Amino acid sequence: MPKPTILPFLIAALSAPATAQSAESVPEPVIPAQVERREVHIPKISANDLEIGAYTGVLSVQDFGAKSSSGLRLGYHATEDFFVEGTYGRSKVSDQSFRRLGIAIFKTEEVDLAYYYLSVGCNLFPGEVFLGKNWAMTSAVYLVGGVGNVKFNGENHTAYNFGLGIRALPVDWFSMRFEIRDHMFASDILGKN
Amino acid sequence: MCVLVAFVLPVSADESNERAWVADPYLELHTGPGRGYPIFDISERGERVEILGRHTDWFKVRTARGREGWVSRAQMEATLTAAGEKKTFRDVLFDDYLARRLEFGFSFGTFKRDPLLSAHTGYRLHDNFLVELTVAQSAGDFSTTSLLYGALVSQPFPDSRWSPFFALGAGRFTNTPKSTLVSAIETRGDVANAAIGLRYYVTRQFFLRVEAKRHVTLVNYDSTNAYTELSAGAAFFF
Repeated sequence: MPKPTILPFLIAALSAPATAQSAESVPEPVIPAQVERREVHIPKISANDLEIGAYTGVLSVQDFGAKSSSGLRLGYHATEDFFVEGTYGRSKVSDQSFRRLGIAIFKTEEVDLAYYYLSVGCNLFPGEVFLGKNWAMTSAVYLVGGVGNVKFNGENHTAYNFGLGIRALPVDWFSMRFEIRDHMFASDILGKN
Repeated sequence: MCVLVAFVLPVSADESNERAWVADPYLELHTGPGRGYPIFDISERGERVEILGRHTDWFKVRTARGREGWVSRAQMEATLTAAGEKKTFRDVLFDDYLARRLEFGFSFGTFKRDPLLSAHTGYRLHDNFLVELTVAQSAGDFSTTSLLYGALVSQPFPDSRWSPFFALGAGRFTNTPKSTLVSAIETRGDVANAAIGLRYYVTRQFFLRVEAKRHVTLVNYDSTNAYTELSAGAAFFF
């Protein structure tokens, strides 16, 4: 075992005053001090607690049909069990089915929907996904829920979301997720909340 | 064996990796960064391990025999760093903690009875003082209020697990009434606030906080409004 030692330093410390005292006679040192300098440094260990990602999916808005939605996600793993995340996503909402009946809800047929959430997640079931004989990915099932804001047809609404997902990591720096979320907010756009 | 193959990275004896010596009877290598992942190998006392990275409180190590797995912080604390026997891993991790200056958090609460969502980032200037920048939005039944302000926060007992704090801040606000309301006029102005709160450190990186804040909005020269905010949230250090 390559055990670190302080012996060379001790030899150096003891031999220094001795040579100073007898500087005039200059005797040959019995053992020449060969101090091997040890480089002391504070270990820097890279942490990968922060995640940056993008997602795409389908957003179904009650009474208004489903449209594709995509967004960005910033996550931070606080402990092995809990993580926090911020998400921002966009989608479109169409009142086409109302227009077919001759009732326009929005000024244009399609309006923007944007949302952001700050959520807390909990990893429930750690496990592994096996792909064939030679490849395994660590995985986890997680629950997530949070608070945010939905901007829809020009109005802001305080919104809540919760969901369930599964995450798998083919390599340490890349994860894949599949999740289902429910977004809840009160809107008076159809005449009542 | 298939577990091992999944963790092999295309890295050959990288000199930049930290090395440590196992001081416990053995280190347990898990397949993933969590106590639920199975133990598939061990490293014995006196063996050298390379530290490849960290995820939360788990360290990814490569043993002398070339196997890679995850070791808990509790076990790593007993290993010795290459710097020498005197400085154990526990001290190294504690130094790391003290060096943290930047924090980020978010909270949820009420603002004049409407729900309020806020995010803040803080930078520690001194043991007892930090500066914070907060953005907040409250989407109520009748209007949406947005706030952006900076604050100076004082923490008289920064080392204690339950740490109270006081804050003074100033910034801008915007209030936008719902467009469906009659005579909806957007209001902008300055805001000043004072807060009192409490932090609770859950882990080394993560803490919870509750606070009560009084906001005074300066609408024009002769009118001010005051609102009380009560909120609770979580934050973490980078």
